Amino acid sequence: MKVELFGMARALAGVSHVDLALDEAVALPDFLRSLAEAVPALVPDVIAPSLDALVEPNLLLLDGRRAPRAGETFGAADNPCVLFLASGG
Amino acid sequence: MAANLEPVERYAGPRDLLEVDLTARTSRRIALRDEVFADALGGVGLAVRLIDERVRGPLDPLGPENPVVFAAGPFPSTAVPAANKHALATISPLTGFLNEGLSSSHFSAVLRRCGLAAIVITGAADAWTTLAIDGDAVRFEDASALQGLSARETTKALRDAYGDRSVRVCAIGAAGERGVRFAAVENDGRQAGRGGTGAVLGAKRLKAIALRGRGEVGIADPHATAAIAATLRTRALGPKTAKYRVLGTGANLRVLQRMGQLPTRNFTAAQFEGAENVTPERARESKGTYLELRAGCAGCPVQCEHLYVRKERDRRSAAASEYESVWAFGPNCGVDDLDAVLDAIGRCDELGLDTISTGSAIAFAMECADHGLVPRDAFAPEEHAARGAELRFGNAAVLLPAIEAVAARSGLGDVLADGVRAAAHRIGGGAERFAMHCKGLELPGYEPRALPTYALGLATCTRGACHNRAATYDRDLRDPSDDRDDAERARDAIEAEDRAVAWDSLVLCKFVRDCFEDFEMEAAALWSAVSGIALDAAALRAAAHRTWERKRAINARLGWTPRDDTLPERLFAEPIPSGPNAGRRIELDRLAALSAAYEALRREAGALAGTVVHSA
Repeated sequence: MKVELFGMARALAGVSHVDLALDEAVALPDFLRSLAEAVPALVPDVIAPSLDALVEPNLLLLDGRRAPRAGETFGAADNPCVLFLASGG
Repeated sequence: MAANLEPVERYAGPRDLLEVDLTARTSRRIALRDEVFADALGGVGLAVRLIDERVRGPLDPLGPENPVVFAAGPFPSTAVPAANKHALATISPLTGFLNEGLSSSHFSAVLRRCGLAAIVITGAADAWTTLAIDGDAVRFEDASALQGLSARETTKALRDAYGDRSVRVCAIGAAGERGVRFAAVENDGRQAGRGGTGAVLGAKRLKAIALRGRGEVGIADPHATAAIAATLRTRALGPKTAKYRVLGTGANLRVLQRMGQLPTRNFTAAQFEGAENVTPERARESKGTYLELRAGCAGCPVQCEHLYVRKERDRRSAAASEYESVWAFGPNCGVDDLDAVLDAIGRCDELGLDTISTGSAIAFAMECADHGLVPRDAFAPEEHAARGAELRFGNAAVLLPAIEAVAARSGLGDVLADGVRAAAHRIGGGAERFAMHCKGLELPGYEPRALPTYALGLATCTRGACHNRAATYDRDLRDPSDDRDDAERARDAIEAEDRAVAWDSLVLCKFVRDCFEDFEMEAAALWSAVSGIALDAAALRAAAHRTWERKRAINARLGWTPRDDTLPERLFAEPIPSGPNAGRRIELDRLAALSAAYEALRREAGALAGTVVHSA
């Protein structure tokens, strides 16, 4: 599963995307554990130390359009992106 | 609007209001009552209350009767981080409605060290003037020698004249002097950019305010304040603000491009093929080409500002790479030349222009030129012709000539200097459909067609199209399903608006928004510790609600009707052409339904609080 990284996730990982060895659709906690294993630098600033949640205000968006619902599974075709969108000073 | 106020404990902070009449060249200090602070808190809450007391009906925003308020937040000169901020409020020459904005840094702190909670300026001087406030003393000084100078140059000139580098200055640039309706006010390198407060000061011939103050600032409970501040400071150095510290807001560019929500070429597209070329990350990654500098507000651990300049150039010409500014001159003008974008931002800061409105005005002119409504060579007189300054999307060479023309109010620049709404009216020929504004204020750099709750917030915002007063894009992204009912979206928009009022009254930087575990409870405790007046979460919410009601009441007296709460025609008529959100647009009926739900909830909340001010 290809995961696109933006903002701090990209800065910490040093790459624009990572490929996870996930063949089947997964829910967010399993996805994050796999991502943390692939890119340990994302813990604890992007992925919480419990490895089951993103640190606010980081977001996982599918296809860059929407966050997965609680318990929803997703796969490579959903084009997951980890990003951080917030503005205003 | 009178509030039922109970006697409260004594307010510990600076409490004086300085009323200045530039026509009469007089001033007087008035001690504000404790109840005023309990009611309005500070910052935007206080500024809006002071405007509410003074603006009772329609007025000319550039006339002497239009008041300008500077109101300190309650925390400058304390240990509270990310809080050296003040609010400005006036009636906007761009919208004709209330404009309230924020600026930051040392000016806010010294305002309080002068013993002042706020300044209200009315009247108009008969010659260019500097308002010099030195502790308790007020002087009206000749500023004719400062005419044409940038805010930075003005600050240096005044400090040299006083022989004191501790003097803090806010000033307008040449654009404000010439009445550009989106002229900014700058202090300490920070701008209150939106809505044209700089033009209001220019109409008053007030070039600058110079402050020198060394008074003590009272804190009711120093130990509790220090403890809360220390916690916040630690959190503000953690992952919640890492993006701002490490990357800056310019990091939004890549994100919005990926999401298909990057307004491009005056909102005719939502992805920009040249976006990568103008990302600040590109500058950082091109080692050896650009020098990166960091800056930030006084007392802020985040230091969010990332400035760039080519290494071979003078580092003093480094320009801030804030997302909105880069977007305005980059994707929105179809320009993929980072040097040109940075030069445009830097020149706007020198001239005292709001970058969002300036970039939007140029993008609007580019589209008008595409349709034959203005000449391609409008900004290409003899001295620029050789450099190819044709007015067309993607032409980096036209940015600086266009900016100069706007600031000088020359030719087409004079038309654009009144904002895109007025410019479209003057140009005619259907140019209105290219004017991207709400209530006259140009849109910021987020694509509303895919974000319905955010779109509602843009429409209802009392100052026009502002991304900082109803920033609900986050909620749209987390739950983008179309089955959310209108009342739920309206409630989200209202919560976001009232939350922003609370932030802007306390005045805390929104970049530390995630550093609170329970914002209302912790912020109320902080305000209580500093001010000495008990405040809880419910009282904080009520204060924010009162201020929002005052904003709406002021606008209603200035002629606002619900029909003003709308969006640019393009967002209804033209779907996003391509990308992840292709085909999405705002349905006119949908916005009407959302607006109706919003108004019903606002009326209900106002009725419960006894503060209904709606005209609808």
